[in-house]
Amino acid sequence: MSASRIDVGNRLDRRGASPSREATPSARDFVLEVSDFSVHYGVDANMVRAVHDVTLNVRRATVLGVAGESGSGKSTLVYALTRLLRPPGVISGGRAILNVSSDDDPARVTPVNLTTASERELRRVRWSHVSIVLQSALSALNPVRRIGREFDEVLRTHRRAMSRRERRRRAEELLALVGLEPDRLNRFPHELSGGQRQRVMIALALALDPELVVMDEPTTALDVVTQREIITELAELRARFGFAMIFITHDLSLLVELADEIVVMYAGTIVERASAGELYAAPRHPYTLGLLESFPPLHGERRELTGIAGSPPDLAVESVGCSFAPRCPFTMDRCRAETPPLAPIGETGRSVACWLHATPSPVPVPAALSRRWTAPVGPTAPGVTSR
Amino acid sequence: MTDVDAPTARLSARGLTRHFTTRVPGRIFAAKRVTRAVEDVSLDLVAGRVTAVVGESGSGKSVLARMLARIVTPTSGELYLEGSAIALGGRRTLNYAAQVQLVLQDPFASMNPVHPVRHSLERPLLIHGARKSEVDELARSVLARVALDPPDRFLDRYPHELSGGQLQRVSIARALCVQPSVLLADEPISMLDVSVRLGILNLLKGLADHERLAILYITHDIASARYLADETIVMYAGQVVERSRGTALIDRPAHPYTQLLISSVPDPSSRPGVDASASASRSFVRAEVGCAFAPRCPHATARCRVECPPAFAIGDGHLSRCWLHADQEGVSVDLATPDRQREGEATKT
Repeated sequence: MSASRIDVGNRLDRRGASPSREATPSARDFVLEVSDFSVHYGVDANMVRAVHDVTLNVRRATVLGVAGESGSGKSTLVYALTRLLRPPGVISGGRAILNVSSDDDPARVTPVNLTTASERELRRVRWSHVSIVLQSALSALNPVRRIGREFDEVLRTHRRAMSRRERRRRAEELLALVGLEPDRLNRFPHELSGGQRQRVMIALALALDPELVVMDEPTTALDVVTQREIITELAELRARFGFAMIFITHDLSLLVELADEIVVMYAGTIVERASAGELYAAPRHPYTLGLLESFPPLHGERRELTGIAGSPPDLAVESVGCSFAPRCPFTMDRCRAETPPLAPIGETGRSVACWLHATPSPVPVPAALSRRWTAPVGPTAPGVTSR
Repeated sequence: MTDVDAPTARLSARGLTRHFTTRVPGRIFAAKRVTRAVEDVSLDLVAGRVTAVVGESGSGKSVLARMLARIVTPTSGELYLEGSAIALGGRRTLNYAAQVQLVLQDPFASMNPVHPVRHSLERPLLIHGARKSEVDELARSVLARVALDPPDRFLDRYPHELSGGQLQRVSIARALCVQPSVLLADEPISMLDVSVRLGILNLLKGLADHERLAILYITHDIASARYLADETIVMYAGQVVERSRGTALIDRPAHPYTQLLISSVPDPSSRPGVDASASASRSFVRAEVGCAFAPRCPHATARCRVECPPAFAIGDGHLSRCWLHADQEGVSVDLATPDRQREGEATKT
C-alpha cells in the first residue's frame, strides 16, 4: 500500500486532527451539510416536485441511510446533490455544502457549495472527495471495455503523476480490497457475476480515497447471500479507511443493521429522522411503521401482514396537508388540512413530520404504534409482537 | 426425497434432472463441459398448498420451474400431471399448458410492450378455445381475481402505463386466464417495490387457500418463503439439500447451507454483531465430487469431499443432505442452534 494514495494514517489524521484554522466547528464534524434542498422536474404546469425542502447532515465517517419506496425522491436527491441530475431535473432551492479536507493538510477543511460549483470545481471534487456507486453495475460499466481500463482512466485523469505500471498495481490493490483476483482486470463486465460487478463498482468508487461514498441501492439486484457479503465488506472497508457513506435502499431492515442514522423519505420529503436503533425499536411515523411491517419476519409466529395500502401520490399534483394522509391508518382532520413540519421529538435529537406527535398532543397515540414503543430496545421483542 | 402422499398431488416430479453442455469460452476445440443445473429433484405440488423453493442465484431453481412448465426438456426424470405420466419427448401440449402456468420474475420483460393488457389476457383465452363473445367478460373477471379493480381501468392500458406491482398482478391474471390447477411463480416479488411485495404474497396465498391452486413459489428470500410456505425446499447447485413440511427448516435449520441463507437475511432483531457464517466461504462454487457445498462449508470433513451425502431424516418430514446428520441424534440437535455452535467452535480454535 505504500505507493497508494489511500493512506490510513493520513485518513486518521483527517478525522482526529487539531481544530482547523478557517472552518467552523460543524465543518469538521460534517462532511456534507444540506439545507432546504429542493429538486423539480420540468417547469410550469407539468412540474413534478421530486424533492422538497430536505435538510440533512452527514457526519464524518458515519453511514446515513436513506429509505423509501420507488418515487419517494431518494435517488433524485443524491443525483442532485452530486450534480449528476440531467434536465429536465433542476435544483430549485437550498444549498449543499461539501466540506473538503485538503490533500496536503488534512486538518484544513474547505467548504464547497455543490449547488453553485462550476464544472471545474466539480471536477476537482468528484471521485477524489465524493464518489457514487449506482444500482445497476451492468449499465454503469462500459460493456466493450475491459475492467482494467475503467481503473486506468480514473487514475490517469486524477493522478497525473502515476506511471502506467503504478496505475496497474493500484488497480490490482483496489480489486484485492473487495476480494477479487487481479486477473479480473482483463475481463469484460459480462464475464463477471452480478456480485463481482458490484464489487468492481465499489473498488472504483474507492480508487481516489474519497471522504464520502454515495451508494444508490447497490445490493438491490443481488441475492441475499451476495448482499450479505458485500455489506460485510463495506463495513470492513469503512473501518479501514473511515469514509462516510450515504446508503440508499428500500430495505429498511438492511439499513437498521448498516446505518448510524436513518432518514425515511416519502413523496420527496423527509418524514422521519432517527438513529438506526431508535427507528427500529420505536418508529414514530406511520409510514416508517408500515415499511418495517412490510418485511416478513424470520422469527415468531406466522401472521398476516398487510404492508402499506394504496400507492404513492402523484407529485405533479400539488396536495394540501400531509402527503401520507390518504394511506395512513391514523389520519385525523388536521392531516388533510395542514402539512406537518419535520419537528424534533424527545431528547435524542430525532425528528418526525407527523401531527400525531405535535405538542400538546391532542390525540392519544394509536395502539399499533404504541405497542412497538413499549418494546425494549434490543434483540428481544420487536419482531415478535403479534397483532 | 419425497414424503408427501402422491395421490393428492396435482403435479409431481420424480428424479428431475437437467444437464447443460457448454463450451469453455474462447476454446472452440476444447472438451465440452457439463453443467448439472438440476440433479434428481422430486416434489409434489398439492392443491391448496404453497411449496417454496429457496436458493441463491445459480442454484437451479429457475431451471426446475421451467422444466415443470415444460419449457425446458429434462435430461431425465418423470413428470405426472394429476397422476398420469407425461411424455417428456415432444412439445408441451395445449392441455398441459392449460393446467400448469408460469409467472416470471420481471413483469416489464414478460409482457408485450406494444399490446395493451387486454391483448395479453384475451390471447391465451382464444388459444385455449374460448368463444370471441365471452373473452371480454372472462378477462374482466380474471382481473378482478387479482384485485385490479375496476377492470376497465386496466384493460386498455399498455404495460408502461402500469406500476411494477400492477403489472405483476396482470402477469398473474394472464396465468390464471386458462384456469390452471398449478401456478409456478419464479421470484415473483424480487423486482417489486417493498410496499407492493406483501400484496403479491397475500394474493398468492389467497389463490392457494381459497381457490385451491397448487403453487410453487421460487425465491432467494427465505423470510418470504417462511411467510407463505406449506412445504419448504432448499436447493444448492441443482440439488435439494434440505426440505421440511411447513417452515421447520427455517426455524430449525439443519443443513449448513440453509444456515448460511438464513444468516444472510437482514434481520435487525437478531443479536447485533453476530455474523452467522463469517466462517463459511460465500462465493458460489460447486465441487465436482463429494458434497457440492463442501468447498464453502465450515463443517466440511474429508468424507464430504469424496462422497456425496444422501438425505437423512432428522425429524418429521424434515430431510437434510449432509453427513453431519448421518448420526441423527446429537449432531443435528447441536446444529439446530447455530449461534451456540459457532461460539463453541471459536473457543476451540
